[in-house]
Amino acid sequence: MNADKKIIQIATDVLVIGGGTAGVAAALEVAGQGYKVVLTSKEDKVAQEAKDGAVADLTAKAEANANIEIMTNTVAADVKGVPGKFEVTLKTGDAAVEKTFGAIVVATGLTTTVLNDAYGLEMGPKVVSQSELEAMLAEGKLEAGKTVAFLVGFGQEGNPLVMQRVLDSLTALTKVADTDAYVFVGDIKLAADGLDALYAQARQEGVIYFKTKETPQVTVGDAMTISILDPVLRQRVEVQPDLVVVEEAILADEDNAALAVPLEIEADNNGFLQPDNVHYFPVKSTRLGIYLAGASRDLLSFEQGLEDAGNVALEVKKFLGDGNLEVPSNTAFVDVDKCTVCLTCYRCCPHGAIYWDSRAIIAESACQGCGICASECPNDAIQLGDYADDAMAQAVKDGQGSAGKSPWIVAFCCKNSGLEAMKMAKAFGYRVPAGLQAIEVPCAGKIDMDYVMDAFVQGADGVMLLTCHNGNCKSDKGALYASWRAEEIKKMLAAVGMPEDRLVCASLANNMGRTFSEISVELERSIKKAGS
Amino acid sequence: MTDKPKKALVIGGGIAGLTAAWELAQSQVDVELVEKSPFLGGHSISYCCKATDECVKCGACSVDKMLAQVVSEPRINVTLGAAVAKVDKGGKFTASLDVAPAYIDAEKCDNCGECFQEFRNTGAVVRGYSKNNTPLYAICADAAKDVDAAKLAGVCPKGAINLDAKATKKKINADTVVVATGFTPFDATKKPTYGYGVRDNVITGMELEALIRQKGQVVRPTDLNPPAKTAFIQCVGSRDARLGNLWCSQVCCAYGLRMARKIKYANPEAEVKVFYMDIQSIGKNFPAFYTQCKEELGFVRNIPVDVYPEEEGRMRLSYADEDTGERKDEIFDLLVLSIGITPGEDNAQVAELFSLDQDQDGFLVEKGEGVFLAGTAAGPKNIPASMAQAGFAASEALKYIGVTK
Ligand SMILES: Cc1cc2nc3c(=O)[nH]c(=O)nc-3n(C[C@H](O)[C@H](O)[C@H](O)COP(=O)(O)OP(=O)(O)OC[C@H]3O[C@@H](n4cnc5c(N)ncnc54)[C@H](O)[C@@H]3O)c2cc1C
Ligand code: SF4
Ligand code: SF4
Ligand code: SF4
Ligand code: SF4
Repeated sequence: MNADKKIIQIATDVLVIGGGTAGVAAALEVAGQGYKVVLTSKEDKVAQEAKDGAVADLTAKAEANANIEIMTNTVAADVKGVPGKFEVTLKTGDAAVEKTFGAIVVATGLTTTVLNDAYGLEMGPKVVSQSELEAMLAEGKLEAGKTVAFLVGFGQEGNPLVMQRVLDSLTALTKVADTDAYVFVGDIKLAADGLDALYAQARQEGVIYFKTKETPQVTVGDAMTISILDPVLRQRVEVQPDLVVVEEAILADEDNAALAVPLEIEADNNGFLQPDNVHYFPVKSTRLGIYLAGASRDLLSFEQGLEDAGNVALEVKKFLGDGNLEVPSNTAFVDVDKCTVCLTCYRCCPHGAIYWDSRAIIAESACQGCGICASECPNDAIQLGDYADDAMAQAVKDGQGSAGKSPWIVAFCCKNSGLEAMKMAKAFGYRVPAGLQAIEVPCAGKIDMDYVMDAFVQGADGVMLLTCHNGNCKSDKGALYASWRAEEIKKMLAAVGMPEDRLVCASLANNMGRTFSEISVELERSIKKAGS
Repeated sequence: MTDKPKKALVIGGGIAGLTAAWELAQSQVDVELVEKSPFLGGHSISYCCKATDECVKCGACSVDKMLAQVVSEPRINVTLGAAVAKVDKGGKFTASLDVAPAYIDAEKCDNCGECFQEFRNTGAVVRGYSKNNTPLYAICADAAKDVDAAKLAGVCPKGAINLDAKATKKKINADTVVVATGFTPFDATKKPTYGYGVRDNVITGMELEALIRQKGQVVRPTDLNPPAKTAFIQCVGSRDARLGNLWCSQVCCAYGLRMARKIKYANPEAEVKVFYMDIQSIGKNFPAFYTQCKEELGFVRNIPVDVYPEEEGRMRLSYADEDTGERKDEIFDLLVLSIGITPGEDNAQVAELFSLDQDQDGFLVEKGEGVFLAGTAAGPKNIPASMAQAGFAASEALKYIGVTK
């Protein structure tokens, strides 16, 4: 441990990108923490649409807040620098300004697209999208006495946000005189507050739901028909609607992909800016200093966006503090003399912490201490605090002889998963081999091939690499790197005639003490068997 | 800053209460965390990892992680086995607690587990689910009445067991309150035709969670063998007009399908069928996940009503075939009831104490000044949503006490 804590000064202004409700709320919450905020909206205004008056209220508060500067028609054209000191180019029309921010909050919105192709339908006056229906209902343009049919859940798997819109429309429809409503639906997605009750209520008001697996057949023309095989009555059912309402998919903002690049954050495969990994809950991104509110991170409701705003403010506060950032002792450091600027580290850092300026530089305010760069650097130019190569080698050496007569098993354990699972196994009295020596690593991606080979050279009877499950690694690919390296090492072991099963690479969660016990005991058993 | 730190009272130590306490402490607020049971963590500390060849984002490991953080945070003071008896509000909150006797002295106990080994079968000593529970063991007063007291007191090599310990009272002053008292799992005996509590191989999703966590795999309660055929019945106690439970519990499709796949992953020969009304989308990559489910599991859109006993602890389910409408009978080794979330059993009392409202289903609704809600106390939610709401409750509480604006 370094005795002297290193403090660096960082900027404390905060940029909020996105003038929707989550963005406005986030700006207010962050300003409430005492920081100056710039709130940008790519449109000519920030959130106005009234949802129980709450939104207009928020906007009014933001406009009145002296610590919030609202910039409309503005986009973040470029982002440079590092967490604590992001240099952002803000473009308003042709005018560009550069501003420095300590942290950035992204609060982009959602878009919709109508799924008529899934039903082979052309849109027209009698075939409308969910959005068009909502507009008709809002403007009172739906005539009385019509039969309306909804198609939902066949063009997409669907989710409660999609279903909520349908149910809200049904509630409005039942107030229009003499309306008959039919809903053709795959699975009814009700996993959100109040939806099951809305669903039941609409049914009571006479709405008829047909739940089927097959996509309904729709014929359009002067007389439209929808036909399905009714799973309850077990016969073909035909409905002649006056109006067909086609479902819409709700998708991530198209701007997200373009934002992810300069922000150096990882998006998920649906275009949301938070990877599908529980370590980022609720509002973190892969990079320190960048936080996500509402629909920028997932398909979230209005209310969830407001909740996120509160959470974002807590995270911003934890990161920026009073502008004096204490650098953790375990950040990576590049030896200038060894670095050949191959940029391997820049490419593999999962947290956007590395940049270069005639050599690789690691931003202390951004490094999360996973050590992946240190293990991947072909020139051994990077060392990581307590987990430097010599310290790791020493740890193995210290274990020599500790096993006594039992097989000596060196277990490199990710501190987030394997190490916790081992502690659990011990606390619960599950069997753990007597000669097992656990060596903590900050992430399985820090387990060098050298460490493993060295352990064997020192006389270890077995080596374990215990990683998080794929998709649960806090640093994204650390577990994958470990498993790839294990494959390579096994080949090397085979080449020198050593049984490959002496090396075990397994993934665990922190709550898998039982499995830790089983895996390690099994390794011990196979070593003993081979030895006898 | 020379101001005396503000103080928050958090009621309930499940994932919501833990998260709220943690976030408040990060903002330099002192926290009194009050938990009714002998252990922190709530329901979800007993849940298992549901990963197959990859993490399926169930969130169970997040609970252990948060618990580890909370127990090492000096600003959070935990009182276990405590119930709030009275609350006075005169500017500040003054809560009077009844604290159950600490039969195991936390200072002396070193978690060796001797007491548990000796008395686990009697139920007199119970164990928590996480290594971060300290003490990891507790004495269950009711069950302890039936065992030899001298032997129980004497079993501990550290002399940490004191059966004469007395209940105590405690007063806590706080500037704000977060209520995170959670939910009550649906009581499956209220659907008697499933034979829960009568037939040993009918278990709840909650029990399956703990079983996998403890054993690392799924085994039948009666013979401890992996079941060849398992059925999951969804929506048990949820979306049920007859019970008056008109809500989707929002979590049981998720845990049901994830554990069903876990069974199949551990034992590809095993057959697993899911009986359902509607499958709810869960998580970010649900379409891909569901496609895999459909490849590996059987799905029947029908909730069976009756369960008949068969030989060797098996059970027969009758249901209407989806394609033909005809009655079908199928025999299973293990039946898992995907029970849902119902309002916390203490909700009426908690509402009274802290001036909260209850909605038509019985979940809590914020009303009074300075009292904020987090987690399933306010309605069905999964772990990540409980955490998000808890963070929000903490941020609202910070505003209320003037730490932020
Ligand atoms: C069978 C089942 C499986 C599930 N699996 C998953 C899953 O895999 N993933 C997921 O995300 N979600 C899952 N869930 C949902 C998950 O359980 C909840 O989201 C989570 O437990 C909510 O946490 P909580 O803190 O709100 O409530 P709880 O977990 O209920 O915690 C509340 C705590 O408050 C205490 N308490 C209650 N009343 C009082 C009082 N009056 N005074 C003091 N303390 C009190 C309780 O003892 C308890 O410790 C599952 C739910 C069920 C029913
Ligand atoms: S990987 Fe190593 S050599 Fe390559 S740029 Fe990074 S520090 Fe320099
Ligand atoms: S230790 Fe990890 S986070 Fe830090 S610079 Fe290296 S790869 Fe990036
Ligand atoms: S499956 Fe659940 S417990 Fe296991 S690693 Fe993933 S989130 Fe954690
Ligand atoms: S989550 Fe699934 S099983 Fe649970 S109540 Fe909702 S629909 Fe039923």
